Amino acid sequence: MTRYFVTIDDREFEVKVGTDRVSIDGQELEVSIESSGVSSVHSLLVGSRAHKILGDRSTNGEWSIHLDGLLVEAHVLDERTRAIRGMTQANARLQGPKPVVAPMPGMVLKVEVGEGDCVESGQGIIIVEAMKMENEVRAYSGGLVTRVHVKEGEAVEKGQILVDLGPLKASGAHDDTC
Amino acid sequence: MIRSVLIANRGEIALRIVRAVRDLGLRAIAVYSEADKLAPHVLLADEAYEIGPPRASESYLSVDRLIEAAQVAQADAIHPGYGFLAERADFARAVEGAGIIFIGPTPETIAAMGDKTEARKRMAAAGVPIVPGITDPVSSASEALRASRILGFPVLLKAASGGGGKGMRVVDRPGELERFFAAATREAESAFGDGRIYVESYVDRPRHVEVQILADNYGNLVHLGERECSIQRRHQKLIEEAPSPLLTASERSDIGEVALTAARAVDYRGAGTVEFLHHNGNYYFLEMNTRLQVEHPVTELVTGIDLVEWQLRVASGEQLAFSQGDISLTGHAIECRITAEDPLAGFLPSTGTISHLEVPAGLGVRWDGGVLEGLEVSRHYDPLLGKLITHGPDRLSAIGRMTRALDELEVLGVKTSALFHRRVMEEKDFISGHISVAYIEEHQSILSPEVSEDCLVTAAVAAALMEDWHRSRHRTPRLNSENTGNRMSAWRNSG
Repeated sequence: MTRYFVTIDDREFEVKVGTDRVSIDGQELEVSIESSGVSSVHSLLVGSRAHKILGDRSTNGEWSIHLDGLLVEAHVLDERTRAIRGMTQANARLQGPKPVVAPMPGMVLKVEVGEGDCVESGQGIIIVEAMKMENEVRAYSGGLVTRVHVKEGEAVEKGQILVDLGPLKASGAHDDTC
Repeated sequence: MIRSVLIANRGEIALRIVRAVRDLGLRAIAVYSEADKLAPHVLLADEAYEIGPPRASESYLSVDRLIEAAQVAQADAIHPGYGFLAERADFARAVEGAGIIFIGPTPETIAAMGDKTEARKRMAAAGVPIVPGITDPVSSASEALRASRILGFPVLLKAASGGGGKGMRVVDRPGELERFFAAATREAESAFGDGRIYVESYVDRPRHVEVQILADNYGNLVHLGERECSIQRRHQKLIEEAPSPLLTASERSDIGEVALTAARAVDYRGAGTVEFLHHNGNYYFLEMNTRLQVEHPVTELVTGIDLVEWQLRVASGEQLAFSQGDISLTGHAIECRITAEDPLAGFLPSTGTISHLEVPAGLGVRWDGGVLEGLEVSRHYDPLLGKLITHGPDRLSAIGRMTRALDELEVLGVKTSALFHRRVMEEKDFISGHISVAYIEEHQSILSPEVSEDCLVTAAVAAALMEDWHRSRHRTPRLNSENTGNRMSAWRNSG
């Protein structure tokens, strides 16, 4: 019996895989899976429900799974690795709002904020042209623009940090009107 | 006589044209940029010529390089497809100037309809109803503001050379005008090389209905019924169908007649489309696309007429083999545009390499695709991967076949719009035909990133089992190995 922890979109499932049984979060399922081992195609039967699953493994248990028309990113950890990760990551938790990154490669058409600006969650930050369309990149969370990394006309890659956001001024200050 | 055709395009439409050319036993000549060396339109053509770097402006938009390739290949004709140079009168003129047949209308017709403001004037003069608004471009945001105040907000800013939703913005309030005017001008400038903008009244929640026209060089003109293209996002069509679920038989013949009037007014030849906004029983001329449309297959499926074949025949000097009375519509067809965009993240473009592609088949299912496994979807070109089209005896059976076909479609490597289409196919307003261009805004749940609990559980179980299998296969072998592969938990060995 091996215990795996599968994370999909911030949800964690505990899946126990035994020699003849599988359970998920304590619930037993009658499951069988089959593959030629040559392609990424798998046949998964849950009870009698048939699924065609495509599974691509990148590194260290990162799976890209296509099922029922949906593309799911799943991260699979075993018990031991998860425990080690838990200890090392506990101290390194990110503080403050996430930086704004380019969601796709493209060219910066317009930077709509400057360093020192306050932005709200969902506010347009930068316009990136890709595939002949203008796409407005928005802030995931509110914050103070601490650094703008790109200029208009600059080509950016997917995932590249465009703008760093810092926490807004401590509450109590009465200028948090942005 | 046409014996060879150079296809001045890429992607699914280039392949569609290659197929029609080869169906007729003619020689199909592809052109490609450095980014498209492995593209299917190149692989399946009889000949192929590289025309430049990935940037469209230096390859697919380069008139000189295309004409040079056509001359080297000794092409009798050039088919422009859609987009790129398809509606550029100067290109048609240059092609004819080089002694090559341009498959499309005359440069004069293209120019008259390509300038949307000029087209509006011509149509109004011919008695075709147009959307209220100005008929000349504005030169500044303040002039646009003056025009907008007269028309009343909201207004629509449109590119004079526009099409495909580029360079278009809805302006609800005067305060937004300056910003949107600048954005529309920039987008129009980069998409069409012409930043001129004009202003129209914004028609609230209309339906987009368009009529397919086919004309020869001898004054014979037919319409092939309408297409309903109301399911749009940011003025980009996503789902099209034929016929429209909401037109009555008399409306159908009325709008068809008006479309013929519009086409006659510009001496049309070849295949073209007259677009209308339909609102409260009224319809207004929107524009005429002097080329093949992306969504032409739905018309082909209900009329049984191969539009690209007839473009080639008309360009060869043949007469239409049918008149209006011979045209009848059989059943119902639906097209879903499968794009490299993530519908659960605001249709954000998705780039990457197609690592897996499985396209649906079966009765009533057609796939007009432009990608293959291993092909890179880059940011240089539009995100259309292919079109899934289904046909059935009636609308519900076409929807049923589309639902099934979407379940069979598999694309890995980039996110696609398929999930959006799958959700629309089971949404009750779509099924009952209650649609307008505001459909997506009014049905935001279709774009909800939430997936069903069942699906999550299945994915989690599959992930754990696949990881377990992966580990058992890649475990460091022991000296006296006992795991010879048959000890896999839920795994059954096949073969």
